[in-house]
Amino acid sequence: MTEREVVVKSDAGVHARPAMMIVKEAMKYPCEVKLIKDDVEADCKSIMSVLGLAIVSGSRLVVRASGDGEAKVVEMIVTMIENNFRSHEESSQKN
Amino acid sequence: MENTILVKNFLEDTGAIDLQIRLVAGGSGLSREIRIGDINRPGLTLAGFYDFFAYDRIQIFGLGESAYLRQLSDDDKREVLTKFFSFDVLCCVFTHDEEPDSLFLEFADRKGVPVFVTRKDTTRFISSLIYLLNEAFAPTITMHGTFVDVYGIGVLLIGRSGVGKSECALELVERGHRFIADDVVLIKRVDESILMGGGSPLLKHHMEIRGLGIINVKDIFGIRSVRDRKRVELVVILEEWVQNKEYDRLGLEEQTYPILDIDVPSIMVPVRPGRNIPIIVETAALNQRLKKLGIFTARELDRTIQENLMRGKNIK
Repeated sequence: MTEREVVVKSDAGVHARPAMMIVKEAMKYPCEVKLIKDDVEADCKSIMSVLGLAIVSGSRLVVRASGDGEAKVVEMIVTMIENNFRSHEESSQKN
Repeated sequence: MENTILVKNFLEDTGAIDLQIRLVAGGSGLSREIRIGDINRPGLTLAGFYDFFAYDRIQIFGLGESAYLRQLSDDDKREVLTKFFSFDVLCCVFTHDEEPDSLFLEFADRKGVPVFVTRKDTTRFISSLIYLLNEAFAPTITMHGTFVDVYGIGVLLIGRSGVGKSECALELVERGHRFIADDVVLIKRVDESILMGGGSPLLKHHMEIRGLGIINVKDIFGIRSVRDRKRVELVVILEEWVQNKEYDRLGLEEQTYPILDIDVPSIMVPVRPGRNIPIIVETAALNQRLKKLGIFTARELDRTIQENLMRGKNIK
């Protein structure tokens, strides 16, 4: 099991689009990925679950994964949150 | 998760149960936290017996307590209330619409102890209050699954993401069953044997279907297709069909799935393309209803067969 803590800095919090980015990233890996906020666990592969956490700017989250590719997926999602979901949007615009 | 509720929550919408209360004093203490789901009748305390005074609970003043206070002389009353309010009393509720006198209100205001008056009688009020407190303090868990009311049985579909829980629920809704929650199911143990499930207030009646995105079941299918909460009575575990894995073929043994230390009847349904999962869930729900009535099909068939075998043996 790999887990890391991260604080959301993005002003808008995790609304539909950022939530989708997290889910898309998690779906690339076969392992179980969880997002935890205030003891409430959400399945990172479910958009409703992530949206249901109501993550606002300043929320402290734990990204936890267990299974194949756990280190990589935790790393990717934490980086995405730390970068305020920006680099990914930019890279998708380039494509 | 530790639950606390604020006294002021009682003034707000308490759902199906209306406590019929109004605040008469101590408004400054409305943000006090209720930490224990118990109540106290302060009769003995008012009469001078202060041992075991549970001041940190909601104090219920019934007809007896009100009458006792009323018959006291002003001096005695002042003395009783001084002692009573020297404790950090949580809040007081007077039943039968018996409003306390100005001296009581004065003490309560000074100490910031909220005082409510209810139109209900003491027994009715206490039973409503205990129900609400039990709900508020019930152990809660959030589960990843889809929750549907199928023929009156609360069916919780669980399984890995992408296994087809939401699609199954959608088909069930289309067949006239009622949708409760998708993906995030909040489950409360409201009693030693009762689990109540509902959706998160934020995601109410929404569902994600791969390829469609997020849909609102209530808007699309109408009010009859949804409900807010339901008892969790059957867990259906959906999993991808694994070759050579042993699946239950008889149904003689009852499987259970533990949620908050309660064993909920469960079935494991292997999924593969072309398999009609909704009809299996419907049948499982009906079968569960039969079991609740004491009719256990697999065991009955087994018994009939055994009786037949015995008879055959005797004839020989």
